[in-house]
Amino acid sequence: MKDEAIYRRLFRTALLIRLVEERIIALYPSDKIQSPVHLSIGQEAVAVGVCDALRADDLVFATYRSHGFYIAKGGQLDAMFAELYGRKYGISGGKAGSMHLAAPEVGLMGSSAVVASTIPHAVGAALSFKRRGSSRIAVAAFGDGATEEGVYHESLNFAALMKVPVLFLCEDNGLAVHSHRRARQSYGLIDHAAAYGIPGRRLEEGWDLLAVRQATLEATARVRAGQTFVLEIATSRYKEHVGVGEDFHFNYRTSVSVEAWKRQDPLIVDAKLAAELRPEVEREIDDAVAYAEASPAPGRAELLTDVI
Amino acid sequence: MSIAVAKPLARTSRVLSYAAALLETMDGALRDHSNVFVMGQGVDDFKGIFGSTTGLAEKYGANRVFDVPLMEEGMTGVAIGAALVGDYPITTHIRADFSFLAMNQIINLAAKYSYMFGGLMRCPMLIRIVVGRSWGQGAQHSQSPQATFAHYPGLTVIMPSSSQAVLDMYPAIINRYPGPVISIEHRLLYNLDFTVSAADTRVPVTSYVAHAGRDVTVVATSVMVLEALRAAQYVQDRTGVSAEIIDLNSISHPNWDLVADSVRKTGRLVIADTSWLEYGMAGEVCRQLMTRDPGLLKSPPSMLGMAPAPCPTAKSLEDIYYPSQHETVDAILRQVKGEKHGVALPVERSMTEGYKRFRGPF
Repeated sequence: MKDEAIYRRLFRTALLIRLVEERIIALYPSDKIQSPVHLSIGQEAVAVGVCDALRADDLVFATYRSHGFYIAKGGQLDAMFAELYGRKYGISGGKAGSMHLAAPEVGLMGSSAVVASTIPHAVGAALSFKRRGSSRIAVAAFGDGATEEGVYHESLNFAALMKVPVLFLCEDNGLAVHSHRRARQSYGLIDHAAAYGIPGRRLEEGWDLLAVRQATLEATARVRAGQTFVLEIATSRYKEHVGVGEDFHFNYRTSVSVEAWKRQDPLIVDAKLAAELRPEVEREIDDAVAYAEASPAPGRAELLTDVI
Repeated sequence: MSIAVAKPLARTSRVLSYAAALLETMDGALRDHSNVFVMGQGVDDFKGIFGSTTGLAEKYGANRVFDVPLMEEGMTGVAIGAALVGDYPITTHIRADFSFLAMNQIINLAAKYSYMFGGLMRCPMLIRIVVGRSWGQGAQHSQSPQATFAHYPGLTVIMPSSSQAVLDMYPAIINRYPGPVISIEHRLLYNLDFTVSAADTRVPVTSYVAHAGRDVTVVATSVMVLEALRAAQYVQDRTGVSAEIIDLNSISHPNWDLVADSVRKTGRLVIADTSWLEYGMAGEVCRQLMTRDPGLLKSPPSMLGMAPAPCPTAKSLEDIYYPSQHETVDAILRQVKGEKHGVALPVERSMTEGYKRFRGPF
C-alpha cells in the first residue's frame, strides 16, 4: 500500500512534466515561446524518482534540459510558463527562458546551456555543506555527453579527494545532440569513476519510477554519510535534441529503441491512472498558461537590472 | 559615484609591501568573515602565492585555506557553487595566463548568474590573478587580461597599484560586493614597499587621482601608475611640467567623469597600460572621451603599452617590449613641449632594474 501511494505521487509528477511539455509542443507553433526548448519527454522518471528521494533542502544543479527537474524539485508552474513566454513575472523576469530554469527556494540551483558547466557547482555547494558540518547534499545532474568534458574529470577528482557529499547523476540517453555514445566514449562511466575511488551504480530501468527513487535513496544514504557517488541511469529521449518535433526521419537513429522504451513507460502503460489524473493536471497547466498570458513583457526598465 | 581622492597626507603612516598588504587583507577577511575561504594552487605551501597567503592555512586550518589540484575551470566552478550557497570564495592564479583555463566558468557562468537568473542567483567571489613580468617570463607568464575580462558585463575588474589600494579595496569587496570580482595583481609590485596611511580617506573601487597636476593627464593602470608617478616626478624636477596621474584602478567601472574633467583641464593625454593597446583599455579611454567631447584634446594622445607581439623571453627583447621609464618621460614631455622638447631622458631602459635600485617606499 505504501508503495502504491508513493507510486501514485511519483506518477502524478511525471505526468505533470509530460503534459507540460506536450503543452509546450502545442503552443510552440504560436511563437509565444520564443526560446529553444530541450524536451525531456521519455526521461521524466529520472527527475521524478531522484527528486522524490532527496530532502527538501538538498540541492540539484541541472542542465538546459531541465523542465523535469524544475517541476520535480517543486518549482512554481505559473512562473515557469511565464518564463518560457519571456514575461516579467517569469521566474527570472524573462531573462532565463527554458534553458536556465532555477528555483533556489526549493533547491534547483540553476541550469546552464554550456554542457557540464554546473557539475563543479554541485561539488562547491557540497564542499560548503561539509565545511559547515551540514547533513545536506548536492546533486550534479548531467547527460552522458557531459562526462566527456574535462571539468567532469576535474570535479570527480576533487570531490573524491575532499570527500564531499555530492551525487553525480548521469542521465544516459545515449545521445549527445545526434552523436551516439559509442562514437564518443572510450570508457564505461562506472569503471571510470572507480578509478577515482568513487563507487557507482548503473540502473538500466530508467523508466521505473520506484526503481529510480530506490536507487537514489540508497545512493544518497551513502552520500550523506560522506561518500561521493556516481549514479548512472539509462533513459530515452523521445524527441529531437532541441525543438518540439521527432527526428527519426533524419536517419541518425531509428525508432526501435524508443518504441521498446515506450512499451515500459508507465505514463503510456498505465493508461488508466493517466486518464484518471489527466483532467486535474491539465487544469493546473491551464492556470499556469493563463498566468503567463496575463503577465506583461519586461522592457527598458528591466534591461540593465541585475548585471552585477 | 564615489568621490575620487588623491593619496591622503598621512598623519600616522607605515611602510608596507604589496605582498604584506595582500596577506593582511586575506588574514582580515578570514578573521572577520567565517564564510570566507581561500583556495588555489599553492595557497598553503611555503611560498604562499608570493607571500600573500603564507601562514594562513596554519592559522585558520585546512577547512579555510587549501591547495587544489590543477583544475582551474573546476576550481572556479567549485567557487561558484560555494558562493551560491552563501560562502565567499577567494581563488588564486599565480599567473593570469592560467585563468584562461577557467574562462568558461568566469565568462559563461560567474559573469552571467545574476543577470541570467533575474537576480535569483548571485555568486560573489574574488578571483586574484597575478601578472608576471621580467626575468624571462615569456609568452605564457606575462599576459595582462584586463580588457578581456572587462569586456564582459557581469564582471568587475580591478587592478590595485599600491598597498594602499589593496588595503582599501579588498575589505570593501570581500563579502560585501554583490558580484564576482577579478583582481589583477602585478608581480613586480609584490616586493615593493609603499607608504600606507591610516587616514579616513580610502582608495575607491573606481578611478582616482593618484597625483594632481595641470599640464597633461596620464591615465594609467597597475604598475604603469608607478611608472607614471616616477616619470611625473622626473619631469617636474627638471622642467616644472606638472602631470596629473589618474589610476584607472577599476577597469570595468572607471570614473569616466573624473578622466574627462582632467583632460578638459589639461587638454593633453598619455595612456599607459600594462597590456596591448589593440582593442584594449587605451581604446576604451579614447572612446569614452570622444563620445563625450571630441574637442577635449589639443593634440593626439600618446599611448604606452606592450609591443603588438607575444612577450619574448630574451632580456634584450623584453626590455624593448615593455614601455620604459625613458619612453614614459618622453611621452609626457612630447605632449606638453612637443617632439623637440630637448630634455635629457632617463637612461633607465629596464623597469625591474630601476626597481632594484629604488625599492620605495612609494
